[in-house]
Amino acid sequence: MKSRLTIAVLGLWIVGSTALQADPAVVAGYTFIKALGGIEEYRLDSNGLSVLIAPDHSAPVVTFEVTYRVGSRNEVTGTTGATHILEHMMFKGSENYSDAKGNSIKQYLERVGAQFNASTSVDRTNYFATLGREDLEGYVAIEADRMHRLLLRDSDRQPEMTVVRNEYERSKNNPESQLIEEIRATAFEALPIHHPTLGWLSDIEHVSTSKLREFYETFYWPNNSTVTVAGDVEPAAVLALIRKYYSGYPHSPAPIPDIYTQEPAQSGPRRVTVTKPGELGTVVIAHKLPNARDPDQPAVELMDAVLSSGKSSRLYHALVDSGLALSADADSQLYRDASLHLLFAELAPGATHEQIEQLLLAELEKVRTGGVTAAELSRVKQQYVAADAYRRDGTSAIASELNEWIAIGDWTMYVTFPQQISAVTAADIQRVARKYFDHSQSTTGWFVPQTVAGERAP
Amino acid sequence: MIRSKGILLAFTLAALSLQAQADMAKHAEHTSAAGIDLVTYHTEVKDVIDIVGYLPAGEAMAGTGNAALPTLMGMMLERGTRTQDQFAIARQLEEVGAEITFNVGMQSLQFDAKCLAKDLPLVMRLLAAQLRDPAFLPGEFAKVKEQFTGMLQNSTRSTEARAREALGRALYPAGHPNRRATIEEMLAAVKSATLKDLQAFHVKYYGPAHMTIALVGDVSMSASAAEVAKEFAGWSGGEDFLRTESVAAPAAPTDPILVPIPAKTSVSVLLGQRTLLRYRDPDALALRVGTAIAGRGFTGRLTTNVRDKQGLTYDIGAGLADDNLVDGMWFMDASFAPALLERGIAAGRGTLQAWWQDGVTEKELAACKQGLIGGYYVGLSTNAGVGHAIVNALQRGYELTWLDEYPRAVQALTREQVNAAISRHLTPATMVLVEAGTFLPAAAPASAPTP
Repeated sequence: MKSRLTIAVLGLWIVGSTALQADPAVVAGYTFIKALGGIEEYRLDSNGLSVLIAPDHSAPVVTFEVTYRVGSRNEVTGTTGATHILEHMMFKGSENYSDAKGNSIKQYLERVGAQFNASTSVDRTNYFATLGREDLEGYVAIEADRMHRLLLRDSDRQPEMTVVRNEYERSKNNPESQLIEEIRATAFEALPIHHPTLGWLSDIEHVSTSKLREFYETFYWPNNSTVTVAGDVEPAAVLALIRKYYSGYPHSPAPIPDIYTQEPAQSGPRRVTVTKPGELGTVVIAHKLPNARDPDQPAVELMDAVLSSGKSSRLYHALVDSGLALSADADSQLYRDASLHLLFAELAPGATHEQIEQLLLAELEKVRTGGVTAAELSRVKQQYVAADAYRRDGTSAIASELNEWIAIGDWTMYVTFPQQISAVTAADIQRVARKYFDHSQSTTGWFVPQTVAGERAP
Repeated sequence: MIRSKGILLAFTLAALSLQAQADMAKHAEHTSAAGIDLVTYHTEVKDVIDIVGYLPAGEAMAGTGNAALPTLMGMMLERGTRTQDQFAIARQLEEVGAEITFNVGMQSLQFDAKCLAKDLPLVMRLLAAQLRDPAFLPGEFAKVKEQFTGMLQNSTRSTEARAREALGRALYPAGHPNRRATIEEMLAAVKSATLKDLQAFHVKYYGPAHMTIALVGDVSMSASAAEVAKEFAGWSGGEDFLRTESVAAPAAPTDPILVPIPAKTSVSVLLGQRTLLRYRDPDALALRVGTAIAGRGFTGRLTTNVRDKQGLTYDIGAGLADDNLVDGMWFMDASFAPALLERGIAAGRGTLQAWWQDGVTEKELAACKQGLIGGYYVGLSTNAGVGHAIVNALQRGYELTWLDEYPRAVQALTREQVNAAISRHLTPATMVLVEAGTFLPAAAPASAPTP
């Protein structure tokens, strides 16, 4: 998930546009649910499909995005990575649109010059394209077809397996990403955040087509998905278009499975070390946080901004400007079930892991004991206000951020999170620092570069 | 799912409305202020201005001197001016949420800024001060050298960076503006660089003479020109870009260039050659479109054959690079598991050979042209997209009318022109092959899926 900073600033713009909001569209077959911040939510009555419309007429383009509420949180041992492989298989053709017919989704979207892609995360899988408004219907038709009529052939899965395996191998080329993966696996023992979204290699290699079909038939239903349309559209017209292609699909025959696992209490600090050939080390200190919807998240977000946003930040002064680190950051990975906060520093030549870890902990302790100043709080809030306006630049950014809030279970936080941000006090920040950043609840990771005998010296 | 392709980015220039295809140049205003080439482009995005600009102070300007100076100078721009330290500047920007960043490329020092319209005077004042009057403090210089050293050391472990380094060194002869120092040479240059060298570099290359600024968004030319004229008044100097004539390519090595890097699970592969073409040269656009058919997005021939049909890689494509100002290169790039490396390279080569030998089809060309033109307009739906389109066009030597002419030029290409450009300028059989990563012993069996 992207940082909350991005999400928050987008929301601010939407708040600013509420005054322009028109009456909701009345379109047969839909129930109007609510409108907030210029975004209208509807539900397709025949099958429960959620639809969000965010009109933006600044350019004649539109972003259409489908978010399925299935991600690696829905996987268990043996099927890790299955959601991601299924995402790849969604490009292998559906009954009415395929390479063989010459009208597959990639053929259509590249022919009309769309910017398109798909991605998988812990909480969701999304498919999206930004294209000229006159090309929208062709995309909606194909996107709808693959929701219910995916071919999902074993002959397609076999070559795709090595494609996914190469994606996994590429991620392993970077020791920092491997360190974060091992920290997540150490910090979370029970929740599925424990395993990487790409999956464990052995699962990637052995998951069967029938298991992928089981995933598809369990989770790819209208009532488990949200369509977001941002751009140069009229709500009534686009709702009719969506109804045309999606209303024929039924509601899922069974309830979408829920997750009932909870993370057990951590009984002391944890550590992990990744040792591989490399040049400079990395230190990461992680703490678990509540789910992304928790009302304490805005205060954590502002604490992170005080720590690491810009040259005025505390970590920049303490670690980067002092020449001890090449970079330093504080950020959270926000998820539906629980979240993970990361303090990160990349060591400068000559700095030691011990030194950097102590400095990171010391900065955290300063917030716990001394809080933040009024000037710091004012600065980071002001940064949000300006960034708000920047996010008007493109419909894909709007749809993308909405998608993340959909994934964590409440799209309205796209609008309300910035309001919560503006209400945060210095006392709130000190309170959350004390509440969540206890050393006994930490997981500390080091990447320790290993020198390989015989290598040329840089 | 898939990475974005360089070729796509190259074509994603600018425009606003699918209906206003011929109006880009009319929307833009172009003038000179304080000796700086200034363009403004008003869009419907309210209250926000994106600023994109450059001046010729990139890596190539080091010439035969200290290779690290251009990058160190770019980094020093963010370390304070003679009248304000870096924290005072940062504080002013952060208080209004504005941003200014600098990046050093092959020939350009590029700057990007973003601010609310009301804050344009502040941002222009700070940008001018950073470019004109950097502080050159010894303590900051030492920190910047340490930081750059660390970045270089880390890049020695990047398979992509080492492959790019090796291919560039193999293709561009000494003295060519696109020939970069090796990482080892750069590390030595950082060590030996002095503040005096840096100040001399700044005096010689930083000036308005060949500088361009584009402002896009909620802007007016009169207000923008007034700010630029005020903040850059009295500044002089600056050198032009290096625009050497194309020279014959050196004999390409016949053996693959292997760059061993331990403990890597994926090998980066580049296959390429010099084209001896600049972006504006006859044939260059035809070659770009032909290359898009081979290596663009999900439906290029390389992805279709090597990824979709044979399942040998996550990522393969082709493109052209380094050709805005001087002749550049053509490349195919990919990544493979060590066990699939030889099969993957063979599959890529086979695909290229057929493309080169048989040419593209009418059907492929029609679809590609439509896609490139559509993507061009979608890319112009953001301020940043418009800004980069403007400066790219100007740097390549076009008038702003090119922004309207580009789609027509693509549309007008014939299959014969595209195929002639491919066969005239490329020779797959003699392209340079670079592999960077961890290699299996030669006898190790490859496990690969059955196509």
